[in-house]
Amino acid sequence: MRTETQIIEMREALRQAMDEEMERDKTVFIMGEEVAEYNGAYKVTKGLLDKWGPKRVVDTPIAELGFAGLGIGAALTGLRPIIEFMSWNFAFVGCDQIISNAAKMHYMSGGRFSVPIVFRGPNGAAAQVSSQHSHCVEAFYSNLPGLIIVAPSNPYDAKGLLKSAIRNNNPVLFLENELDYGMKMEIPVEEYLVPIGKARVVQEGKDLTLITHGRMVNVCKEVIHTLATEGISIELIDLRTIKPLDTPALLKSVQKTGRCVIVEEGHYFSGIAAEVGFEIMEFGFDYLDAPLTRVCQRETPMPYSKVLEAETLPNKKRIIDAIRKTLS
Amino acid sequence: MANMSEEFMKSIGKQKLIDALKSMLLIRHFETRGEAAYQQGLVGGFYHSYAGQEAIQVAAVQVFGKKNWWVGFYRCHALALLLGADPKELMAELYGRSNGNAKGRGGSMHLYTERMLGGFAIVGGHLPIAIGAAFSIQYLQQKDEVAICFLGEGAVAQGAFHESLNIASLWNLPVIFIIENNQWGMGTHVSRALSTREKLAEKLAPGYNMKGYTLNGMDYFECYKGFETIRKEMLTTSRPVLVECVCERFKGHSISDPGLYRTKENLQGVMKKDPILYLQQVLEKENLLTPETFREMDKEAKKTVISAMEYANSSPWPSTATLEEDVYAY
Repeated sequence: MRTETQIIEMREALRQAMDEEMERDKTVFIMGEEVAEYNGAYKVTKGLLDKWGPKRVVDTPIAELGFAGLGIGAALTGLRPIIEFMSWNFAFVGCDQIISNAAKMHYMSGGRFSVPIVFRGPNGAAAQVSSQHSHCVEAFYSNLPGLIIVAPSNPYDAKGLLKSAIRNNNPVLFLENELDYGMKMEIPVEEYLVPIGKARVVQEGKDLTLITHGRMVNVCKEVIHTLATEGISIELIDLRTIKPLDTPALLKSVQKTGRCVIVEEGHYFSGIAAEVGFEIMEFGFDYLDAPLTRVCQRETPMPYSKVLEAETLPNKKRIIDAIRKTLS
Repeated sequence: MANMSEEFMKSIGKQKLIDALKSMLLIRHFETRGEAAYQQGLVGGFYHSYAGQEAIQVAAVQVFGKKNWWVGFYRCHALALLLGADPKELMAELYGRSNGNAKGRGGSMHLYTERMLGGFAIVGGHLPIAIGAAFSIQYLQQKDEVAICFLGEGAVAQGAFHESLNIASLWNLPVIFIIENNQWGMGTHVSRALSTREKLAEKLAPGYNMKGYTLNGMDYFECYKGFETIRKEMLTTSRPVLVECVCERFKGHSISDPGLYRTKENLQGVMKKDPILYLQQVLEKENLLTPETFREMDKEAKKTVISAMEYANSSPWPSTATLEEDVYAY
């Protein structure tokens, strides 16, 4: 039997996930800046107001602290909110709500209350939006027990993971990327879920394990394609979920290849790569035939000029250099 | 003493008046004994006493009823007691024991009941939670319920106050914000913290297109009457309301605060306004209470709290094997 498929963009995959979950559960609603009448700053919520009405697709004032906290309060009292941040950068003014309330509530209340909520929106660099609009927030938030952090790299995963996130009884930070919203992919029409907490082997290989997440997955795909022409076989792993980290999947791959490079769009210092690398060192030291290497965003705020922007972000050249060094 | 018509007293009814006094005594004894336990090293962390402010939450819970969403801040022992938490489980929580109100994970500032979302300990950070509860009430069309949020006057300076009031009013959310203005944000007098002078709610609410009320928070009757009017109004309009209850805290901000910034005269003056004393006097004057009955009630409350302490003291510590439980919900 053939599965019916559709070729859709990332934004449509996300929209379908929300639409299907709103159909399934009347307590699911979407709230954020420009999500309703404007159809979403990046058109992710396009058409949802028309279909579901203003009660369930709610435009907010520019008040991230207010509506992030409102969502948490609603989650505590019987609803399942999806809070869209126009950008994760804007969510910093509301991060106390995520940190002090969403992340802590279940534990702090002795398990009395839970916070089934999804915070979603674009994360990381876009195109030349400079220092205040280009943060990768996963390293900040992944430091906090109580949060789940998901970062899909393609439309298939985005849809399946968002549906799982909406059904999860914990606060889920769902990190998208502006540059990926137009990415197209053939995915099933039929409903499916992608489980939270499972990494994916994007391509099998035997010489080296390359670990990354989010937008860097596609950059790494180009890298392994280039190196394949030289006969270098690389296993690419997409974390998909950052917290909880699928350490067993990483160890399995490193056990096979003995070498590992970690790529992260965010900064070096206290980054996800640092954590992934330490987990591998701690639990898979004996598998390693070479020191771990990482390629991250350099230690600068994001510059505006495209020449400088390309230099601070991990790029193909820096990743290939790191791989060669690790293989030598 | 405020002028109470016989009619108003009757409308509350003797039982409720006696219950109010009992609740206030229970809170006072709980706080007195809790602080003593703290001094003995049996309770750790912070301890924020509600002594002196009892009339406000006692009246609020009586008027609104438990079946609403209640959102408190870190001075939250009284609210949990009033909403039905057993003094034993609360004291056990202060003692950090496994059968405490939050399994010994929350402590003094994080107490809960079925309808009490906390116990929140970031100043002003709970106001958005309260509008979220009100949003749920509106979304689920629970027409006879409201969200009730207590805050100190210190929280009025926070950005969360502005955002929450703006959204609540914009979207007609049924939430009442009750500012308990005890004059002091830790050691900073309100006059050094807020640009608005006196009648905070009445002055600030109109800017949000809301109604604002000022109540004497030391006077149970005024609180009761005020909340009753507001409740009726809210159930008709489903609009948010801002209330200021002007009150006094008898203790420092927390137990570690000796309150050196207040003069002895100031504190003596404050103690004369004791809401318990006042209620007692009115009830005795109205022949609803005798000094003997009061003494018995006082003794009873004390007994309850002492037995809660004994319970807490003999309660098991949490097993360290449970440390990592409940970080995530299933």
